[in-house]
Amino acid sequence: MIKSIKDLTFEEQMLPGTPACAGCGGLLALRHCLKALGEKTVIVNAAGCFTLLCVYPFTPFKSSWLYTAMACAPAGAQGVRDALNILIKKGRLDEKEDLKVVVLTGDGAAYDMGLSSTSGAIYRNLDFYYICYDNEAYGNTGFQSSGATPFGSKTGTTLPAELNPLGSELSKKDLFEIWRSHKPPYLATISPSHPVDIANKFKKCEGIKGPKLFIAHSPCPPGWATEPRLSAKFAKLAVETGIWPLKEALYGEVKHTLIPKKFKPVEEYLSEQGRFAHLFKPIRQEEAIKNIQERVNRYWK
Amino acid sequence: MLKVRFHGRGGQGAKIASRVLGTAAFLEGYYAQDFPLYGAERRGAPIAAFTRISKEPILERGVISEPDVIVVMDETLLDDPLANPLSGLGKEGLVFINTTHKAEDIKKRYRIDANVLTLDITKISLDILGKPILSALAGGAASKIVRLKETSLKEAVTRELSDITHEKGLIEKNIEASIYCFNALPSVLIKSNASHKKSDVITMPFEAADISSPSVTIPANTPLKKTGNWRIFKPVWDYELCTKCMTCVMRCPDGCIRVNEEGFPYSDYENCKGCMICAEECPAKAIRKEREVHAW
Ligand SMILES: Cc1ncc(C[n+]2csc(CCOP(=O)(O)OP(=O)(O)O)c2C)c(N)n1
Ligand code: SF4
Ligand code: SF4
Ligand code: SF4
Repeated sequence: MIKSIKDLTFEEQMLPGTPACAGCGGLLALRHCLKALGEKTVIVNAAGCFTLLCVYPFTPFKSSWLYTAMACAPAGAQGVRDALNILIKKGRLDEKEDLKVVVLTGDGAAYDMGLSSTSGAIYRNLDFYYICYDNEAYGNTGFQSSGATPFGSKTGTTLPAELNPLGSELSKKDLFEIWRSHKPPYLATISPSHPVDIANKFKKCEGIKGPKLFIAHSPCPPGWATEPRLSAKFAKLAVETGIWPLKEALYGEVKHTLIPKKFKPVEEYLSEQGRFAHLFKPIRQEEAIKNIQERVNRYWK
Repeated sequence: MLKVRFHGRGGQGAKIASRVLGTAAFLEGYYAQDFPLYGAERRGAPIAAFTRISKEPILERGVISEPDVIVVMDETLLDDPLANPLSGLGKEGLVFINTTHKAEDIKKRYRIDANVLTLDITKISLDILGKPILSALAGGAASKIVRLKETSLKEAVTRELSDITHEKGLIEKNIEASIYCFNALPSVLIKSNASHKKSDVITMPFEAADISSPSVTIPANTPLKKTGNWRIFKPVWDYELCTKCMTCVMRCPDGCIRVNEEGFPYSDYENCKGCMICAEECPAKAIRKEREVHAW
């Protein structure tokens, strides 16, 4: 087990110069996931911000990358996995040269549009990784609300106004439990502010055949209306307030990998983000803030 | 008709600047048209926005390829072959450039024949707003250049920003910054090159998928893109204070920070986007932020 960030590899699988926004939390999460996965991967990427990472003729990846439509990255991964298996079977690819098939999507694809193809892939016990960078809305098209948008968040489609002072009135889906109900061998939540935790989780599931699924909480400066320099801080605060529990489930058994000794109040996380600003100004929406705190308390009880 | 083209980086406010100018003109009784053009990229990447102003109804549509006035909100764009902000500029035209340098020096360095006006509006926005959001300032500069009135500018900034924020104080500061830029510039008589060039219709022949879908066969070549010119601030390390804890290295989203032979971290300034996460996260406060000035 890795103990400290000093023990993380300096080897990078994704180089600088990407078109992602300055301070993109999802990119930081992806960087650490790829460090843990190593060079022998093929990334299958559904439409979203990260498709822009590979705009012809550029790519930041040392490995291969394939672009699919929004709803079908896991189906694309099935095709790639099958092709690799056939090549191995025919002796055209040495088993040692095999590639890990990695689906990469945003939360819009993971929580909503691609949920059925993911369900199918887990059901078929497809041997693949899934990395969802969860910026809690459809980021690439202007931050419209998704199934991952939390209660009380402002998005492009849930603008707070007199009749709708809360912004989003709906609650974030529990994708971890939705995926877990399919009984994949491994799944975990991760955060870009906890790279050691990321490395250890990838280590833990290495060698397991079948779906290995990761949801990365991903601060997004333009969507969250936060300063780029604070992305790591908000990722950390989400963990420290208990809003984003770091956990894993190996063969279905859930274990929290970090339980804050003392939970910070959710207000610390909410009040500095533009997407929650309407909960505090011009009038403080006490009920809503309390509601969010109580959800967290209930989860950890 | 007067045609104005704004060049900025995503997040700087070029789109809103074009709207401020359009609304100010509209309030003075002109016909006006404004719209942005985005590439596939994100915050920090070059974008353009356009404003047409006319006494007659405007029938022309589409991007402005031969502008009378160009507003360059970020000097680094002048070196960017993709943004190519000076394209289509005639000798009679005028370029406003946000820079710390003087107009004569800019003309010489970038070999510009047209008129050039300069002002460091980034500094003005940092001083008044506290952040480098230039929409109201560039809108103010453009309004002065095309000879609109201060009162229309004020109203236009209020209207455009009220759509985005309810913070009264912020709107007022933006008005202040906008008027500051308005008054810092001379108004200029611009001869509009009213000619309207027809653009050719582009036809795309059908190509089989193996030809029409491109593939990249060089791994990891984005460092060639040099996203370093997105920066407004740059991180600078003080090795006296650094404890080599490696936090900054592991917090950089872009993986720009490497470690030198003595074990100290340093940034690849060619691609560091200046997000300042490293400075924020350093436990020893060994990284300071310095305003990036385009040095020649
Ligand atoms: C079927 C389909 N509908 C809509 C789109 C347009 N589209 C492209 S990216 C995107 C947003 C994706 O959101 P998410 O999966 O959350 O990823 P993010 O943009 O946040 O990275 C949308 C709606 C599309 N590509 N395909
Ligand atoms: S919009 Fe958000 S998720 Fe998308 S690249 Fe920018 S910071 Fe990252
Ligand atoms: S400013 Fe941002 S991009 Fe530049 S080195 Fe620091 S963390 Fe990396
Ligand atoms: S975070 Fe600060 S102390 Fe740690 S290695 Fe970087 S500069 Fe040095």
